[in-house]
Amino acid sequence: MFKKILVANRGEIALRVLWACKELGVPTVAVYSEADQGSLHVRFADQAVCIGPARSIESYLNIPAIISAAEITGADAIHPGYGFLAESSYLAEICEACNIKFIGPGPQAIRLMGDKSRAKKAMQKAGVPVVPGSPGVVEDEEKAIRVARDIGFPVILKASAGGGGRGMRVVRNAGELPPALRAAQAEAAASFGVADVYIEKYVVGPRHIEIQVMADSKGNVVHLGERECSIQRRHQKIIEEAPSPVLTDKLRRRMGRTAVEAAAAVQYVNAGTIEFLLDADGNYYFMEMNTRIQVEHGVSELVSGRDLVKEQIHVAAGQPLSFAQKDIVMSGHALECRINAEDPYTFVPSPGVIRHFYAPGGPGVRIDTFAHEGCEISPYYDSLVMKLMTHGRDRTEAIARMRRCLDVMVIEGIKTNIPVHRRILDDPDFVAGRFDTRFMDRFAPEKKAVPSAS
Amino acid sequence: MNLKELKEILQILEDQEITEFELEQEGTKLRVRRGESKAAISRPLAAGANAQAPHEVTEEAAPDVPIEPPPVESGLTIVKSPIVGTFYRSPDPNSAPFVNIGDAVKIGQVLCIIEAMKLMNEIEAEVAGEIVKVHHESGQPVQFGEPLFTVRPSS
Repeated sequence: MFKKILVANRGEIALRVLWACKELGVPTVAVYSEADQGSLHVRFADQAVCIGPARSIESYLNIPAIISAAEITGADAIHPGYGFLAESSYLAEICEACNIKFIGPGPQAIRLMGDKSRAKKAMQKAGVPVVPGSPGVVEDEEKAIRVARDIGFPVILKASAGGGGRGMRVVRNAGELPPALRAAQAEAAASFGVADVYIEKYVVGPRHIEIQVMADSKGNVVHLGERECSIQRRHQKIIEEAPSPVLTDKLRRRMGRTAVEAAAAVQYVNAGTIEFLLDADGNYYFMEMNTRIQVEHGVSELVSGRDLVKEQIHVAAGQPLSFAQKDIVMSGHALECRINAEDPYTFVPSPGVIRHFYAPGGPGVRIDTFAHEGCEISPYYDSLVMKLMTHGRDRTEAIARMRRCLDVMVIEGIKTNIPVHRRILDDPDFVAGRFDTRFMDRFAPEKKAVPSAS
Repeated sequence: MNLKELKEILQILEDQEITEFELEQEGTKLRVRRGESKAAISRPLAAGANAQAPHEVTEEAAPDVPIEPPPVESGLTIVKSPIVGTFYRSPDPNSAPFVNIGDAVKIGQVLCIIEAMKLMNEIEAEVAGEIVKVHHESGQPVQFGEPLFTVRPSS
């Protein structure tokens, strides 16, 4: 086991990693920017090192400062959390060179899965169903139109090096394609530095179903079931749940097997998530793989009873997985509402100081947060304040518990999206499990008319 | 807790032959264990005085205050560390320190080295003046924003 783990992150995920380390008896080092001096992860870690000023690029994205902090504290492992440097193959490589264990997959797997079109090719080779699309990057308009006709309209143009909705355009016919291609290429170059764009079939109204996998360095790969993440606004997840209300046992077994094959095909080690699009006919297609622990990992922990972060640490320390596929037994239903510091009507971020704070407990409630009374939510980082999770014997109970928590939760001094969650939890389509990734478009339509995928 | 108080506590522990001691006050935690040579962040004391038994001293930094906040006289400037690393007062172990208390320094003059990831970074003075205080010994770890020197500006 490691002598000391440095947590290269902040906020709720830094605390989450600290909890796992404390339970394993491993001393911890927190790193922090000047803006996070009073933050809980700094207070609860055994040691803390200030690594820079508030701006992320000078602190939480500052690899030399983080490696230096590991060196002066004698940390022999770094957990990158999610976001920031979690999918930086560069950090993974530097850790290797400095004899520090990066708690995650190796740099090659990170690089491969980070390049969306290379990832897709690797998956195709492994026999994983992928969304029909161009064999690679498409540069000229004539080729683009030919490829699009083969696939069948509507198609979507996507940036090879990116995500999060940028460099994306939905195209409904050949006439729309040339200007859309030029626009997508320009946006891709501006956002990710690389103008490469590829074409895919646009699956109308898909559900976003992702499978959690965990692999050790001995070649064992296990899946821990799916998460339904279709409630998204502008490609940002708002509500996640496990299991999905629509997956049959048969489909779950098939998708789980596919996810395990996908991870094994790239010799994946540690925690990862394979994202699929599920269409209305029950066909699923590989979308991308996230080579890190994710925000929503908690709902999988609730239904499986497993601690994924502890498992990440065990695997990184060279131990085999503590469970086999047959040991994974799912129980009940879990929901997560991401509570963000934002205006519930305009979604504009709302930084500030939390003046009053009350978070409820009771049966089936799990709250992952760094918030407390007097806590400052600064404008420099993302707006996630709290992950509110509930677990119940079934989906009805999980929903009832979530409503109850949202009703009594007190977070004053900043605005939050609690009212939005409360309305979603009353929506008949949500309650019936009858929704796809277009749900938020209907529920909270954008003020401006957007001609393509937002 | 300042260096003087720390020295007094350690002298008492030595006199009483105490092997393990922990003190927590107002955001600072001090833990002293005698006999083991493993160090976390170790603060080597001034040579000579307490050199009898090897002490392991770990002082955990108060999170909301930088390590050893010096009281700042008006008009004095603090030179703070721009990076994370290990502080060295001289270019190598056999040379004299770059600067001592009382020295006059010019803008651009090298005050110290901070080693980070095997690279020696020279920290230069941004203000001309006189060195009033040196906050660390060679070999001590420093974090971003850590006070290194107090300078009385000459202008």
